[in-house]
Amino acid sequence: MSLYFLCLILLAIGIWCLLVKKNLVKKIIGLGIVEYAINLFFILLGYRFDAQAPIIAKDSNSMIMVDPLPQALILTSIVIGLGTTALMVALAVRIYEKYGTFDISEIRKLRG
Amino acid sequence: MKNEQGMSIIVKRITRITVSLIFLFGVYIVLHGHLTPGGGFAGGVIIALSFIHVVLAFGKDFALRRLNEKLASIFESLGAVLFLTVSLLGLFLAGIFFLNVLPKGKPFNLLSSGIILPSNIAIFIKVGAGLFMIFIALAMLRITEGKKGE
Repeated sequence: MSLYFLCLILLAIGIWCLLVKKNLVKKIIGLGIVEYAINLFFILLGYRFDAQAPIIAKDSNSMIMVDPLPQALILTSIVIGLGTTALMVALAVRIYEKYGTFDISEIRKLRG
Repeated sequence: MKNEQGMSIIVKRITRITVSLIFLFGVYIVLHGHLTPGGGFAGGVIIALSFIHVVLAFGKDFALRRLNEKLASIFESLGAVLFLTVSLLGLFLAGIFFLNVLPKGKPFNLLSSGIILPSNIAIFIKVGAGLFMIFIALAMLRITEGKKGE
């Protein structure tokens, strides 16, 4: 249970970073922390203590294994996270090229 | 010092040693994907990281002369076509999509997985070339100081 609570703290750190920081690169890092917290939560849902990886090896005698379904889901999630991070970094580079800053409070053209 | 690009001489010398080891580890992860944890995606990421290592240490001009974005694009398309070929082979030979048409072999051997090994190799080519293309697309963006406070 405490592991889930630590996972929630990691999620809170990410959301705090996403809301409070003004630098765009730090916001991207915060979104990465949120993503990893959710991935870790899914992996913890399928985790069992004193179990082994869900692979039949040559010298494995115990059949207690962790749940492979969250791991397969999280592999897809990691790939999508890679794509979104690359898109965000490219957009941040374009914004820096146009406005000369990463600080979102200084980008004046976005005000109405 | 005629080659001023990239990092210092220490980083370049260590990179020459470690890049081949990282590449070999990636190939091992791909080929043993059905026996141990790993597989096409993880091995492709490791191989792309070995190329990114070269770009970071030697500068992008040196690395992109060997493996430019056109070649990476060709490799990425080749991976997709190879995966489609493996999956369509079952459809044409036996009428079922993704059917295992290769012999299964003895368990825990290297060639014991049928079409999983060719699929892993196709995914490895696709992921490695795609990740490397993402990196060089970000590295080739020319970052200029914009018009500030306009």
